[in-house]
Amino acid sequence: MKMLMKSLAISMIAITCFTIDASAQKKKKADKAMHVFRYEIECMGTGVQGTYLIKVWSYSKKATIAQEWSKKDAIHGVIFKGFAGANGCQSQKPLSRNPDLMQEQEAFFDEFFDTKTGGYRQFVNLTTDGVPSAGDVQKVGKEYKVGLVVSVNKDALRKYLEDKGIIKGLASGF
Amino acid sequence: MKKIVLLLAVGFLSINVANAQAKKPTLMVVPSDAWCSMNDYMLEFDDEGSKVRIPDYKKAFQSDPDLLLVISKINGLMADRGFPLKNMESVLKTLESNSAEDAMMTSKDGDESSESPVDKLKKVAKADIIIQITWKVNVTGPKKSITFNMQGLDSYTDKQVATAAGTGAPSFSAEVPVLLEEAVLSHMDNFTNSLQNHFDDMFANGREVIIRIKKWDSWDEDLESEFDGEELGVIIENWMAANTVSGRFSTTDATENMMLFEQVRIPLFEERNGNQIAMDTRRYARQLSKFLKDEPYNIPNKLTTKGLGRATIYLGGK
Repeated sequence: MKMLMKSLAISMIAITCFTIDASAQKKKKADKAMHVFRYEIECMGTGVQGTYLIKVWSYSKKATIAQEWSKKDAIHGVIFKGFAGANGCQSQKPLSRNPDLMQEQEAFFDEFFDTKTGGYRQFVNLTTDGVPSAGDVQKVGKEYKVGLVVSVNKDALRKYLEDKGIIKGLASGF
Repeated sequence: MKKIVLLLAVGFLSINVANAQAKKPTLMVVPSDAWCSMNDYMLEFDDEGSKVRIPDYKKAFQSDPDLLLVISKINGLMADRGFPLKNMESVLKTLESNSAEDAMMTSKDGDESSESPVDKLKKVAKADIIIQITWKVNVTGPKKSITFNMQGLDSYTDKQVATAAGTGAPSFSAEVPVLLEEAVLSHMDNFTNSLQNHFDDMFANGREVIIRIKKWDSWDEDLESEFDGEELGVIIENWMAANTVSGRFSTTDATENMMLFEQVRIPLFEERNGNQIAMDTRRYARQLSKFLKDEPYNIPNKLTTKGLGRATIYLGGK
């Protein structure tokens, strides 16, 4: 009996360690591969006041990692790319009007987009609990293209970047 | 010691420059003439035989809750961006109450406050940038959609400095106020983006204003009169070239009686006693007025201004 309890405890610890390690590995992998932001954004409609409702298509060799990245990609897209309008949805310009901002503020954005501690997460919400709809997980060549609908709190994000002196506010200088 | 004093002086000066704030333009949302006409908020009167129609803003504000909703939404969103707007309905009410007060006010000796016809003309709702809004509800069978147009118009240069326009997604069930709210929300960021471009241009190249030069009938000289072998009009143009940002201005019209300078880029700040002071057209045109009043020209003149961006100098007297 004692032996059984012992082996059960060891198995539990091993499973926990493996799960933690797997999760960390997944994030590590996500971090490692995230050197290039590669994504597409679609407008999904007018969100509630202060937000954008968008669908982000992220790419990765693993579908789960692509899901993890969609939040980062959404925020990156709102800051640097903007998105085109479709189905009566208005196209929106990016928050930053400086195309070199990412390079000029590299230290800030490295920290901001850090998977573990990055501040980007407070400005994005996954709809459908982060589960892609049917047809939104596609195999393209050797990798997966995963589409997730997210809501970006663009007003709060703009305010945050203005307060940090990363972008200029409308009233700055007056 | 000298170095320390010099460093302190430079530091103090740079703090002053850094703290200097440009004069903030005022903005106000105004329904367009087209919208007022579509919704029958117009006044019609006979002007010597020809019928003239002008917008009846008071009637529009008193009877159209959709207009109030749109204006309130835009005002709120602009206030969130640190740019509270003038509310046209309140401005109209203030103008009414001020003129009632002015009509009743007398001094202890029974004198009325002085008011010239020009003063009366200037008593209208105004802002430096007018946000003109127009919308139309499109109905196709059971579907409704809104075509929305927002234009930022500079009151002085008459240029469109910001814009956002488009047609929203058609809906079977949404009420018009909901569609309108959606239209404002989806266009506001594009509008503020183009407004920001305008402000960026202003900070980089100076404020764009209009300067007019006119002469009184009673003045014996005109803009073709020569001073030290140079025509007065050319002297004024030379002053403009020397005192605009990168010498940028256009002489749109020039006759012996008047000159019109458009696209005049004036600096946003002037230095006074080591401090940077925000500059507007009045301060700028006062420098030209003083230049003409002083030796060797000795031309008495009168300066009038309109808001931040338009000034007229009348030559030959006050």
